[in-house]
Amino acid sequence: MSYTIPIGPYHPALEEPCKVQVICEGEIVQDVSLFVKYNFRGIEWLAERRNYHQAITLVERVCGICSNVHTLTFCNAVESLAGVTVPERAQYIRTIMVELERLTSHTLWAGIAGEVMGFQTLFMKCFALREPLMDLLETISGSRIHYGTNCIGGVTRDLADPEAARTTIRRVRQTVTDQLIPLFTTDKTVHARCAGIGKLTKEQALAWGAVGPNARASGLTDDIRRTSPYAAYARLEFKIPVETSGDVFARVVVRLLEMVESCSIVEQALDQMPPGPIHGPNFVEVPLGEAVARSEAPRGELFYYVSSDGTDTPCRVKIRTPSFVNLPTVRLMMLQENLADVPLINASIDPCYSCTSR
Amino acid sequence: MDIEEIRERLGNKEAWVNKSKAWWLETPSLDVEKMARLMVDTGARLVTVTASQAKEGEFRMIYHWDLQGRLLNFVTTTHLITIPSITSICPAADWIEREIHDYFAVNFAGRELPTLVLSEQDPPGIFSWNFQWKAKTGGHA
Repeated sequence: MSYTIPIGPYHPALEEPCKVQVICEGEIVQDVSLFVKYNFRGIEWLAERRNYHQAITLVERVCGICSNVHTLTFCNAVESLAGVTVPERAQYIRTIMVELERLTSHTLWAGIAGEVMGFQTLFMKCFALREPLMDLLETISGSRIHYGTNCIGGVTRDLADPEAARTTIRRVRQTVTDQLIPLFTTDKTVHARCAGIGKLTKEQALAWGAVGPNARASGLTDDIRRTSPYAAYARLEFKIPVETSGDVFARVVVRLLEMVESCSIVEQALDQMPPGPIHGPNFVEVPLGEAVARSEAPRGELFYYVSSDGTDTPCRVKIRTPSFVNLPTVRLMMLQENLADVPLINASIDPCYSCTSR
Repeated sequence: MDIEEIRERLGNKEAWVNKSKAWWLETPSLDVEKMARLMVDTGARLVTVTASQAKEGEFRMIYHWDLQGRLLNFVTTTHLITIPSITSICPAADWIEREIHDYFAVNFAGRELPTLVLSEQDPPGIFSWNFQWKAKTGGHA
């Protein structure tokens, strides 16, 4: 006999609203429906009623975790439309900011994954590591979450103290390589909870359009920083971690290795960053036309489409977040799995409902 | 398969246009199912679909695909407010089509369209020009 279990809208793993309706036979999941409507704010509609500068502040509010990459991608689209060239120093600062954001996002996710596994020490370790990163972002931008550093044509703040960034990154890299990676990859509890569950095959990942660490844990190799470089990525060397098993454990490993690469990217960017201006003219004219921009957000490819009718207000802003395409794959991961693994599988894709519903 | 072969197979006489680091192909009467089958067969990934209102009762649709890192954009328009669904060919289109239906009330022929971001009782098309906003009654006093 099958029975239906509604989980949420208060999420069992993350303090965000989502309803997962699970149909079980015994303890085994037979089908899953996801409901993600609880955070809909009509941000695309609102952005089409703000001028370009106001729209930057608005799109930063799509997400609290990856706010910076939203403004970066929106600015990239508008700059492409307006033919604006971003100064080289600003491109490096943008790169540093999005990589620091990736580190805070991945440490947040790793901590929550630890908590969902029932491994409180891991949670404490990850959140303790996240704190100096948040402090660094606050030092650079003046804020711990919505940084407000991107503007059309550059950035709003210079990186005043590169040595502070170097010190923090050195500490983060050491903690990740010496403590987090060994803990996550060799601990028997983590392995027992994560290995072999929530599988997503490479073919499924491609067919459902999965992106980011989730897709790369299933054997896909796409990373927008490599395939379509933006900011300073074309001048930096980094590896793209890829796993093939497609389970929760593979998603854990990919994100941990990405953290090491992010540290390396920040260090290279700090070394290479030239002196010079950080933005162009304060106001630019955006001509009639349309443009797209893509970035590799912490959860995967972020896509913006912006069209202009020549006024100071965009006539269409389309935002496709990584969670929007990753979340439908959760159903495939949960089928035939144990009911007790549902929260962990869901948390393993690092979903953001604020991004999904917008 | 290169992008010229894709254009030829779709029977399109217009040339690809390269702008904003992406390739664009305007095809007013695009066979979207044929295009989707072709793109899936080439191993492309559906990035998303952008809908925007072109005029009263007609929508401009852009199908964005990633083909080995290249972003290909197929631009077409709906027939009145209907266009064939590609979900049966490319499952990634499922949520995308449902969201566009919520926003613009575009019908995707050949499938059911449960709401995605709206509540079941809400009328679709909230981003359409002629949408009649009504204040909700009830709720907290």
